[in-house]
Amino acid sequence: MRVAIAEDSVLLREGVARILGDAGLDVVAQCADADDLLLKVRSYKPDVVIVDIRLPPSHKDEGLRAALEIREQHPETSVLVLSQYVELGLALKLLADSADGVGYLLKDRIRDVDEFVAAVRRVADGGSALDPVIVSTLLSRERPDDPVARLTPREREVLELMAAGNSNQGIAEKLVVTLGVVEKHVSSIFDKLGLPSTRSDSRRVLAVLLFLRS
Amino acid sequence: MTPLVAHSVGRAPPRAAALWGIAVAGAALAAGELAIALSSDASDLQVALLLWITVPYIAAGLVAWWRRPDTRLGVLMIAGGFAIGLSALQLARHDVLYTIGAPFDILPAALFLHVYLAFPSGRLRTTFERVLVGAAYAAAIGLQIVKASLGGMGSQNLLEISFQPSAAEAVERVQLVSLSVFCLAGIGVLAARRRRGERPHRRSLALLVDSFAVALVMVALLFLFGAFQGPAFVEIQRATLIVLGISPIVFLIGLLDARLARSAVGDLMIELRAEPAPADLRDSLARALHDPTLRLVYWLPEYGRYVDLDGSPADVADEPGRSMAVIDRGSEPVAALIHDSALDDEPELLDAVGAAAAMALENARLQVELAARLEEVRGSRARVIQVGQRERERLERNLHDGAQQRLVALSLELSLLAKQVREDPEAGRRLDRAQREIAHSLEELRDVAHGLHPAVLTAHGLEVALEQVAARAPVPVRLRVEVDGRLAEPVEVAAYYVVTESLANVAKHAQATSASVSVEERHDSLVVEIVDNGVGGADTERGTGLRGLADRVEALGGRLRVWTPLGKGTRVRAEIPCA
Repeated sequence: MRVAIAEDSVLLREGVARILGDAGLDVVAQCADADDLLLKVRSYKPDVVIVDIRLPPSHKDEGLRAALEIREQHPETSVLVLSQYVELGLALKLLADSADGVGYLLKDRIRDVDEFVAAVRRVADGGSALDPVIVSTLLSRERPDDPVARLTPREREVLELMAAGNSNQGIAEKLVVTLGVVEKHVSSIFDKLGLPSTRSDSRRVLAVLLFLRS
Repeated sequence: MTPLVAHSVGRAPPRAAALWGIAVAGAALAAGELAIALSSDASDLQVALLLWITVPYIAAGLVAWWRRPDTRLGVLMIAGGFAIGLSALQLARHDVLYTIGAPFDILPAALFLHVYLAFPSGRLRTTFERVLVGAAYAAAIGLQIVKASLGGMGSQNLLEISFQPSAAEAVERVQLVSLSVFCLAGIGVLAARRRRGERPHRRSLALLVDSFAVALVMVALLFLFGAFQGPAFVEIQRATLIVLGISPIVFLIGLLDARLARSAVGDLMIELRAEPAPADLRDSLARALHDPTLRLVYWLPEYGRYVDLDGSPADVADEPGRSMAVIDRGSEPVAALIHDSALDDEPELLDAVGAAAAMALENARLQVELAARLEEVRGSRARVIQVGQRERERLERNLHDGAQQRLVALSLELSLLAKQVREDPEAGRRLDRAQREIAHSLEELRDVAHGLHPAVLTAHGLEVALEQVAARAPVPVRLRVEVDGRLAEPVEVAAYYVVTESLANVAKHAQATSASVSVEERHDSLVVEIVDNGVGGADTERGTGLRGLADRVEALGGRLRVWTPLGKGTRVRAEIPCA
């Protein structure tokens, strides 16, 4: 699995490269700015790029623009965007067309190495990873007569994991239950929220996100 | 007060006796013409046509001299009238009268050329014009005497020295051709002025100049026909005389028009009594002066410059076709009228309008001064907010690129360390605790940095930035953002804070179950509206939140309003100019 990293802080860039290398991933490029990243994506064709949303020179949105460009011009390369802040607006912008092979995580997630490596693998494989903060923020709102209120606590947990991009198998492992139990929860959630069920893990990320936002 | 209108004071008006004397002489001349017509065999029509010119020219000349003593125009016109009148003496059977009249046969042509080119100031403007008119006089008087001395003027001529008809005829031809050439050159001068945009704006004056051009064409044609014995000479002569008589009549109409314009000063006085708003003052003055292009600028002594109605500096540099009339009150200028230069011919009108409006202008000036001060204060408030904003952006950037980045790296380092000390559970626990501390610090830091400045707003605009704001609100928020592209940063920042602060108030006080946020561009303004379904009755004076928002919005020339009736929710609406 080939990875390119774009991050202007040397400390972080090398740290991420190290944990990914230790986990057996092949870090083919480390870049300090967006132009270098675009160049290296063209030559090395990585499976996934990990890109800081704010990159030089202006530290505004160079990283995000590069991510969107890679998604458009190199659909075979997945994109995992890292940021100091989570912004629902940016998540919606990134996932606008599809959540396949897209991730958007807070930088802090790097510290949970195993979880982070799993998210990188998932995105590289065409899945998705959405920072749990986004989903929990949306879930924390008080909604009168809202279908979300009819979910059991367990179903809420499953919903959050699902929205973060986890597969049923992944959810089962995290909650230490069988796959069958997870599948039952998932279909119950879709029933209660009135969402059309879908087999694709990433498609249901977007469906849940849009449902919670409205 | 003394309006300091830009016109020369010049000569004193002629004495009434002089004017009356001229008028009587003119009347006598006209009577003489009539007597000659009755006693001679000249056609009545011929004499009537000469009278048709003599009387209006002398009358118009008298009026012009009386009204504009500082120009020579009136004198010139009187001279033209007398010259035409004296030329009628040729028709008399009496030798002496004939001899007096003969030299004036051609002179009027040169006088008319002089009048037409010297209008309206009475002065010729260029050397070319002076040479042209001088040559015309030389041809009209000089060659006429030469012609007379050669016996070219018939048997009654007492000036005859020798009788050489062919030489006299040649001289006459040269005289007529050269004068018609001078007239055509005169048309050229008028046409060139018109091309340069010097055509007067008042319609009657423009018509007058047109009548000059037509008259010059006719004179040129008449002389060419006379020189080469063209057909229908008599008809052309009559047509020429008719046309020449039109000019003074148009001139008198123009004067009447100016009188009417002055009567508009009376209307102006009535309008001013109603104390019109400064914005309407210009229109009133423009109506009184019949100059729709009029600009009114006010003098601010404290700033030492002229300003427009809204207090912004006015450009009063010289422009072709425009003149400036300063209106004083006491010894200080109050305002200035920047008007069509055609009004320079009517200094009395400008004086009268200036005098009538001085008090109203003084009042308007004070209001304009206030507006200028307000503009200055608004500008400095906007600058203060802008500087604050820049500082917050800088701090956020420092936190983001510094502390936040370092803490994440540190946290990662601790994770890697934890893997290495797996055998030591106590070390593992302590590392875990340290990591949780870092995570906590990161969250706090994130809130501080984001509170300082929402980086997403600068990078991605209102629509993207407000998604998270709406998502974090404690109640469901319906968000509608209809903005085309990006707006000026201060506008976006102000709108952003209006939304965040209002939603924070919804969370704190409103006890609402839902809210809506709408942001849209409407007529060059960004309209931001936050409505909740809570208890209303918010205290708009308490706390600094709303006051701070109003400051931000007002600094950009916008306004913020809050409706919060008890039990009926709260509506915050900001309108921020964004054109």
